[in-house]
Amino acid sequence: MSVHPGAWVVWAFCAGLVAMLTTNPFYLLPLVGVSWLVYSARRIPGPSARSFRMFLTFALVALVLRSGLVLFGTLDAGNLAAAALEGLRLGTLLVVFGTFNSVADPYGVLRLAPRRFYEVGLASALALAFAPRMIAAVTRVRDAQRLRGIHISRMRMLPALAVPVLENGMEDALVLAESMDARGHGRGRRSRYRPLPWTVASSIVATAAMTALAIFLIAAINDVGGLVPSMLPPAWPGAESILVASVCLLAVPALSPKGDSP
Amino acid sequence: MTDAVVFERVTFEYPGAAHAVLDDVSLRLPEGSFVLATGPTGGGKSTLLRAINGLVPHFSGGRFSGRVLTASRDTRMFKPRDMADAVAFVPQDPAASFVLDRVEDELAYGMENLGTPVAHMRRRIEEAVDLLGIDSLRRRSVRALSGGERQRVAIAAALAAGPRVLVLDEPTSQLDPQGAEDVLAALARLVHDLGMTVVAAEHRLERIASFADVVVGCLPGRVIVGRPAEVFDRLASGPPVTVVGRALGWSPAPLSVRDARRHAAATSLRRSQEARPAAGPPVLRARSVAAGYDGTEVLTGVDLVLGAGERVALMGRNGSGKTTLLRLLAGVLPPSRGSVRTAVGPPRTGVDVALCPQEPESVLFCSTVAEEISSTVAGRPDVDPRRFIREFGLADAADVHPRDLSAGRRLLVAAAAMVATGAPVLLLDEPTRGLDPEAKAALTGFLAGFAARGGTSMFATHDVELAAAAASRVVMLAGGEVIADGAPEDVLGDSAVFAPQMTRVFGAGWLTPSQVIAAASS
Repeated sequence: MSVHPGAWVVWAFCAGLVAMLTTNPFYLLPLVGVSWLVYSARRIPGPSARSFRMFLTFALVALVLRSGLVLFGTLDAGNLAAAALEGLRLGTLLVVFGTFNSVADPYGVLRLAPRRFYEVGLASALALAFAPRMIAAVTRVRDAQRLRGIHISRMRMLPALAVPVLENGMEDALVLAESMDARGHGRGRRSRYRPLPWTVASSIVATAAMTALAIFLIAAINDVGGLVPSMLPPAWPGAESILVASVCLLAVPALSPKGDSP
Repeated sequence: MTDAVVFERVTFEYPGAAHAVLDDVSLRLPEGSFVLATGPTGGGKSTLLRAINGLVPHFSGGRFSGRVLTASRDTRMFKPRDMADAVAFVPQDPAASFVLDRVEDELAYGMENLGTPVAHMRRRIEEAVDLLGIDSLRRRSVRALSGGERQRVAIAAALAAGPRVLVLDEPTSQLDPQGAEDVLAALARLVHDLGMTVVAAEHRLERIASFADVVVGCLPGRVIVGRPAEVFDRLASGPPVTVVGRALGWSPAPLSVRDARRHAAATSLRRSQEARPAAGPPVLRARSVAAGYDGTEVLTGVDLVLGAGERVALMGRNGSGKTTLLRLLAGVLPPSRGSVRTAVGPPRTGVDVALCPQEPESVLFCSTVAEEISSTVAGRPDVDPRRFIREFGLADAADVHPRDLSAGRRLLVAAAAMVATGAPVLLLDEPTRGLDPEAKAALTGFLAGFAARGGTSMFATHDVELAAAAASRVVMLAGGEVIADGAPEDVLGDSAVFAPQMTRVFGAGWLTPSQVIAAASS
């Protein structure tokens, strides 16, 4: 059954906030697993799959960078472990966002925005269009330059990649902005072609996600469950099984079979 | 009859430009007419088109005086979005203009903004889908479409919004001959049946000329408006039949193949024996190569030998695998079966074979043409970059920024940067998109010179007239295989869809206007 873009927004918001509330790997790693399950079960085929891989790369980079930053400070096991856990939190957030990007049509989400926010809508559309087009342009330009013997692997040759990608990107952005305006974007009236129904599945997904967040919020307020374990001295953190179970609630979207594209 | 578009003393100058691109232009385009805008690059065609719905000056900036009335609305008072219910605009590069991801949503986008009731939307989408023949694409992602498919979707999306005036910048530049014919016929039907006004800019006049009621000739600083025959006369341009008719003194000069045939019956042509030089030794050989993407095979088994000094036109309908074949031959894409070999081994990218991509802009990154060529030959002190600048006729532009050149000359810069690798084989992927006749002539001249120096070139194109003028051999692809391979007069002459105008008028063996004019006056 299809899940309404609004329900995906609720899911991503709750999953993201859960990740923000904790640095405990016994909650974060299941959340990464849950995201992966949801991505595998519900991803929209096409370029979005590539953007998930991009977010996964970002997540790994975040993890390594955050752990690496500590090298400039006091180097001890406690600091390193704390930094690694913070990196893990940031990485998990990126994975959740990547999942959201590939299960919900970003343009569908954009259309939920009220029409009054004309400039915001235009800017977000340009930004959303930019990333996938950049990825495509980088591949295209790199291949083309290789054909004239210019290999971008060397730092000195970076302009050969960056200049055409950015210049074409700017031109494309301008064409898109013009096209949106010429097609009436930002006029007062508006109707919806095939508005997506808010299905039972949408309610289940949203309720499960909000329940998971509520349980984490209660735990955070009462300071139980070891959400932010102290790493001084470094030790294996404990975990509450009820909190691990509520992370699993976020996997609900992966359970219902995928119908028409959401 | 009322006028759909009125320009009253319009003068416009882009910000920072030295000259006005539109200089005191006044014209009236009657409602329900098919208008063709033509003229050389830099003549102001695109600017004129974009002024119709107010993109110029609202998006371009610059100095604008006079006024433009479209559907009785003054573009100084109405922004493009306030004109969206009356005017639809299809830009030259539809890929960059798509807003949503799914084809069907893209078709609905304009109507959603206009607040069209849902019941109407469904009906209009059905009509637009049928008219452009894109029913099979409606659930696809716009990002996964071929160039020709994108062009159809963009036109359908514009039509679905139900405009009174439809403005299109080179609507058939990425379509194969049959596809272009279908789209133009569909547009003509809207003009005749619904009284819509269509304004289209085109360089390739052979297909569109017979549909046009009015031609707007855009020359730098001057705009001529009138009946097609009259404007072509004053521009000294036109489709091949018009050019030949004018040279042979036929009056009135014909606009269509059908008109030309009546005169041709009374014209005697003396056939001269032009021996075409035989192809040199083989330089690149493909043996039953197959290739594809994501599990679908695009080419199923192609055998092809390219000889030194050949100029090969690679033709075939949209999606027939032309780009894939070029990538295989260039060694960029590994074949899934079969092999590609030069005399000594597999082709080395940028050494044995150079490939000029579909968007020449994607390789240009330096601030002058000379630097652009030098960056290719960097590390090889024995090569003089100036040689290539001369050979491509770019000497006067050596210190110009490549992006300040016309589309045609930019292509030559990209081709020069590729040829400077020293590769004896040059492949070009649809080099004629957006090229005016002058730029095409420059390209044809370069290819002839390159061949005379022993170079081999192969270019993918939908432009039949260019293939007739520039190729020594034509290879036709269909269904993943080579279905015809031979001299242009044999391959093109034998086809109902791909035959150039001269073949249609004078019969097999006649390809270009200059060939016919020479034979008639001898």
